[in-house]
Order: sequence, then C-alpha cells, then structure tokens
Amino acid sequence: MNHSIPYRRPAEPEALQARFALRVVARLDERAAQLGPDVAERLRFARERALEKAREARSLVRPAIEPLAVGGSTLAWGGLGDSSSLWVKIGSVLPLVALVGGLMLIQHWHTRAQIDAAAEIDAALLSDNLPPSAYGDPGFAEFLNTPRD
Amino acid sequence: MASDKELSDFLKSVEKRAFKRTAYAVRDDDAALDIVQDAMIRLAEKYFERPAAELPLIFQRILSNATMDWFRRQKVRNAVVRNFSYFESVDTDGDFDLLETLEAVEGSTASESASDTVSRAQILVMIDAQVAELPARQREAFLLRYWEELDVAETAAAMGCSEGSVKTHCSRAVHALAKALKAKGIAP
Repeated sequence: MNHSIPYRRPAEPEALQARFALRVVARLDERAAQLGPDVAERLRFARERALEKAREARSLVRPAIEPLAVGGSTLAWGGLGDSSSLWVKIGSVLPLVALVGGLMLIQHWHTRAQIDAAAEIDAALLSDNLPPSAYGDPGFAEFLNTPRD
Repeated sequence: MASDKELSDFLKSVEKRAFKRTAYAVRDDDAALDIVQDAMIRLAEKYFERPAAELPLIFQRILSNATMDWFRRQKVRNAVVRNFSYFESVDTDGDFDLLETLEAVEGSTASESASDTVSRAQILVMIDAQVAELPARQREAFLLRYWEELDVAETAAAMGCSEGSVKTHCSRAVHALAKALKAKGIAP
C-alpha cells in the first residue's frame, strides 16, 4: 500500500481553522443584525443609561480638582482638559524653580562680596609699606622662615 | 480617557454581539439583556477614565464576570460546571478533516449547496443553534477569538486561562462546528 499523504505546513491547520471560523462568525453577524426591534431598543436604552452613568462619574471627579477658592479669588487648578494639564503643572512648579534660582543667586552674590572684600584688604596690605616693627614680630619671623612649596 | 462619543461608539459596536454571546450562555433573552446592561453600566462607571483602546478587553471581562454572577444568583452553577465539563471530554474527532469541509464549502457550486434546499435565513438559524450547542468554554473562546477579534493572549486574559487552553478550545469548537454543519449539509 502506497498512500500519498499530502504535505501540510505546520501553520496550515490554524489558517484553515481561522478561515472556517471567520465564515461562521460572518453568518453570526448576519444573524445578529436581524435582532428584533424590542431587543435593539433595550440595548439602546442600556447604552444610554451607561453613558449617563459615565457622565455622572466624570462630574463627580471634576469638582474635586476644578476651582480652588482662596480669599475671595479663584484659582483654576483643573477641569481644563488634557491639553492644559501640562500648563497647570508647569504653572505650579514655576514659583519653586524661581525660589531656588533666587536663593542660588543670593548665595553667589554673598560669596562674591566676601571674596572682593578679602581681596581688597590683601591688596591694601601688600601695597602698603611694611612697618619696621613688623621685623621684630615673632609671627612674621616664623612666616618668613616657613619653607615655600 | 475615552470621550463620551468614543464610549458610545464602542458600546454601539459591541452591544449586539454582547447580547448574543450572553444569550448563548444563559439561554434567556431577558436575562441576557439585563446582564449586558449591567456590564455596560459597570464599564461606564468604573472604567470611564481608561483610553478607548482598552475598552474592548475590559468590557469582555466585565461581561464574562456579569454572566458568572448571574449564574451564581440563579444557583445553577452545577449546570455550568456540567457544561464546562464537556471541555474535558476526550476529543473523538480525530478522523475529521477540516480541510475537506472547507474545500467542499469553498468549491461548492449552487447545485451542491445546502442553500438550494434551505433558505438563507434558516441556515443562519441553524448555524446560530450549532454555536449555542457548543460547550460553554469552547463557545466563549471561539466567540472572543473570532467574533470579538481578540488575539490569543487577550482571549486568555478575558477567560482567565492559559493561551494554550484558548487554542485548544478554539480548535475543538471549530472542529465541532464543522462536523455538525457538515452533517446537516450546511456550508457557512
């Protein structure tokens, strides 16, 4: 007996299965399209109730973040939609950035003033004549004897 | 976040299939409509902030859970378990050739087609009935995978089983349908 067995690629059964299944579901689609008006009406009602619930849920979430009243004036924090939420975040971070930047500038200015004052004193000392009594000062003698690098 | 229109369009696109899928499971149109409504409301209330692309999978999971809740409430869980046990049964379709059926379907002429003797509407009813006759898990996998067009991983997530199980369910469902429809002389 020499039966010739047709060769099938491994993926073939799945493809056949999918083709058959898609034919069946196409018929199911046709059948679903024939649903009675009473069913269609109840589905429409269900959909509208669901949308109503979604709107209610959204309205419950929004007021919590929307207007924040401070001392009679109103600050808008939210409820502005996705596109403006980035600007709200930037707006809330900006004062903090300005504060940190200001503190760093003050620190820099203060350090600079100290350096300038020290440089001024050094320059005045170095440019002035050395008093003769300085040569008798043990500290100055020690300074002169200290080896330089 | 899905807008009102996106949510509405999604629900409109899925509602009939959701109803049919549920009706297959509970075999009661009124109960199926209640379950679908319940699932739609749960989706709208709890997941309205999710992007529209995530809605199909979430909705299928909610619908499956709502259906199971209904069975629990009806205290017919034993019947469900009995249906589910069909899945465990030994496959006796070893000699059945799907390719043969498909070739017969695709190559059939008008003279060979069952549509000569049975009207198209009747064929649709019979196909519908055959799908309804499938064991619950096989039918669920088949409908989620091919009707709802979820991929294998999504179907597995919606059904709470492994991807391998989904493939097995789908394969058995297709073979059972092909065999049953062939026996009735129906070409889908």
